[in-house]
Amino acid sequence: MPSIAACNSSPHKVMVPVKSEKPSEISPSNAQSTTPQKRKLRSNGPLVQETLVSSLVKRKSPRRCLNSSPISPAIEIEKDSSKQQEKTCEIPPKKLHDNFTGKPSWNPRDIGQISALKEALHVSTAPSVVVCREDEQKRIFDFCKACIEQEKAGSLYVCGCPGTGKSLSMEKVKQHLVDWAKEMGLKCPDMLSMNCTSLANISEIFSKIMGKNLPRKRINGSASPLQHIQNLYSQQQQSSGSNMTLIVADELDYLITKDRGVLHDLFMLTTFPFSRCILIGIANAIDLADRFLPRLQSMNCKPMVVNFRAYSKDQILRILKERLMALPWTVFHPQALELCARKVAAASGDMRKALCVCRSAIEILEGELRESASNLSSSAVENELPHPQTAPACEFFKKQESMIVGIDHMAVALSKAYRSPIVDTIQSLPQHQQMILCAAVKFFRGGKKDTVIGELNKSYIDVCKSTMIPPVGVLEFLSMCQVLNDQGILKLGQCRDDKLRRLNLKIDAADITFALQGVRFFRNCLQ
Amino acid sequence: MGFQSQVEKAKNLLRTRLCNPNFIIKPLSDSPDSNYCKLKFTISSSITEACNNSILLVGPRGSGKIAVLELALNDLLQEYPDTISLIRLNGLLHSDENCAFKEIAKQLCLEHHLLFSKMGKQRLLYSLLDAMNTVTSQAVVIGVSCRLDVDQLLEKRIRSRFSHRKLLFLPPSKEDVQRLLEHVFSLPTDSSFPHDYAAQFNGKLQNLLADDRFKEIISSYLDLNSTINHLVRFLFIVVSLWESKSGFLSLENFKSALSSIQRQPKQECIKDCSILELYILVCMKRLEVKEQNSYNFNSVMKEYRSVHDSFQTSDYYAWDVCLRSFERLIQRELICFTDNRAHGQSVEFRPVKLLVSYVELQGGLKSYRSCPIILQKLMDH
Repeated sequence: MPSIAACNSSPHKVMVPVKSEKPSEISPSNAQSTTPQKRKLRSNGPLVQETLVSSLVKRKSPRRCLNSSPISPAIEIEKDSSKQQEKTCEIPPKKLHDNFTGKPSWNPRDIGQISALKEALHVSTAPSVVVCREDEQKRIFDFCKACIEQEKAGSLYVCGCPGTGKSLSMEKVKQHLVDWAKEMGLKCPDMLSMNCTSLANISEIFSKIMGKNLPRKRINGSASPLQHIQNLYSQQQQSSGSNMTLIVADELDYLITKDRGVLHDLFMLTTFPFSRCILIGIANAIDLADRFLPRLQSMNCKPMVVNFRAYSKDQILRILKERLMALPWTVFHPQALELCARKVAAASGDMRKALCVCRSAIEILEGELRESASNLSSSAVENELPHPQTAPACEFFKKQESMIVGIDHMAVALSKAYRSPIVDTIQSLPQHQQMILCAAVKFFRGGKKDTVIGELNKSYIDVCKSTMIPPVGVLEFLSMCQVLNDQGILKLGQCRDDKLRRLNLKIDAADITFALQGVRFFRNCLQ
Repeated sequence: MGFQSQVEKAKNLLRTRLCNPNFIIKPLSDSPDSNYCKLKFTISSSITEACNNSILLVGPRGSGKIAVLELALNDLLQEYPDTISLIRLNGLLHSDENCAFKEIAKQLCLEHHLLFSKMGKQRLLYSLLDAMNTVTSQAVVIGVSCRLDVDQLLEKRIRSRFSHRKLLFLPPSKEDVQRLLEHVFSLPTDSSFPHDYAAQFNGKLQNLLADDRFKEIISSYLDLNSTINHLVRFLFIVVSLWESKSGFLSLENFKSALSSIQRQPKQECIKDCSILELYILVCMKRLEVKEQNSYNFNSVMKEYRSVHDSFQTSDYYAWDVCLRSFERLIQRELICFTDNRAHGQSVEFRPVKLLVSYVELQGGLKSYRSCPIILQKLMDH
């Protein structure tokens, strides 16, 4: 196949430029007019030169049929570009041409390409442009701008589910602030960002703030760091024009203690008359400010709340496409990406999960290719004299292999990520343990919530009698219940007398019925 | 080499094999979609691509999770000798987070048990998984747990940072068990063993494995607990019961191993009872079957009398003798009082109940040395 041969020409050189390139740069397209459809590919400078040569070769591959796919390319581009221009505010407009006929398909056997791809989709890779969070970033940025311009203190609370881009957006806003302060000639604020989980002692946060504010002042032994800061902020500054301090506290709920003292003191720092800090707290709970800082409301300095909502399907799709745009090949079928976005948006809206699912889909494709390669090689070894009919069949089979991650791979990856192992485990339990579960289902059908082991044993013996299987003794019954308890299927209480231990089912009775419905024996049991 | 010493050597070899988890896991890990291959592929691809990953190994106790992990890690340490450092943590040992951090600093390794999730706020897991989200770190976190719902026990922040790869360790299928048995018990036919003996042994082994009764023994054993660990324990007992003078493994070894593992202590206790005590137990069973929820010694004696009247048994003893047997049964805990107050009433009036189940009683009677037939008849009505 020509595409494989061409891609092998320069595997590693492809990787490096991708990382350092800024996507907002659009260098004038040079050699692209030679492409048949006259489409502007997003160019990445020197990168394009090498791959275009190989891509020109690829144009001859028999994939032209994709041009007439029902997803008509021309319309999609216009829709995409208009959508992008609406949404972006401070980011210069770009054209996203991302349908998969425009770019050559990737070679999954090339290790360099695989690493580049996995790198692009890894959770730890911060994209250079953060899309879909422009509004929230703007609000935070405006707030900080106002605080710096008016030299007033303020507090802000950022909340949202895990995986919605809070910490990432904060990093971008910080960078943006630095650039803006330089531009306007204002004093750049001191940045202090910390993760509250890494504090050994929660009042350590104040020593950290102290350290930023007064790096050279020695801490007096008698007063705590908190008192120092409070003193500082209550007095008029001698040296006017000292910098504001921007404090970003990630995972703020680790500071919550029973008396809520530390959290309260932290937010109260902004209420002092000469306070110079801008406090931004990040956590998951929406109502943290209301629940834990009620006194601030009365003083009229409740923190402003910026809510990062969970990503919708369109947003997830857009973010994924954005990440994949940096690569010069098509890797995913667009419907596979859409399936992933739909499923993840419906479940949690967590971007990390979407990225993980995409990576796992790639690995499934890799596994498939490896298996088919080993099958082909083993079958090639078997037929030493290639039969005239089978030889072209083998070639044909090779060509039909999908190199693109398709919907089937994505579906398998999604089911792996979302399916709980319960049904599989129940189906593979030994027979007597399954019978114990049947007995439990029947017992709890009457509406009772929990029982003791002795009662379940009686129910189990009844089930065994009805099915003509000799029941096991009490000792083995107890040890089987213990095994089921270890696995998290049953829950056993504690009691001195073993037969009086309380027991209840931790999984849904419907799961058990579903798992065992394939076996007629258990279907009859559960009737 | 004398015959006895050959047999001894064979026994030693089998025992060594059964104690080596790597050997046991090998035949089950050979197929390409086994957990071993998947785990190895995931870790090695993380190493070659220098990206971070986290995996969870889930399965019942004794299903070979640590064995497969060790196998994969050994292979990888050989392939990449200088690029990996290994850290092991154990949730039972390092349950305090400071202790765990110190241990990590000591070992600089990457594996932990998910018992950590029982602690508040789960800091260690959070910091580990958060560190993996930075570009500079290169780590693979492998979690091992026997609970199926372990990711429900994690906090939502940690669950979000975890990469949701789960490897489920299921018990082996019947064909896998057969393959495993063959693998464990076949003697090598190379020069370390005298060829004739080994060939004869293997031939008899094949006959044994194909025998239906053998398959039934194995499947009835595995009906209780089908993990590999459990099976290996059984096989070890088989090898221990193999007498040197017989020379080859036989079906009897497996049968006696099964009965020695599946002991019924209460049934054995019943075998030691006297006939009068058996009568008392059977009468109590009859009372319970008649749905008398609480009964005491007097009701038992009434039943005993009625049995004697209807069947004209020869075993009719005086009240004092029966009371003495009754007290002996209480001491041996085959029956017990249902009320908790020890004082006040005398033994005859306190309510009692049976502590053995009917099945155990029946089994005990069947295996009793000279049980009167009347008792068996009484059990059935």
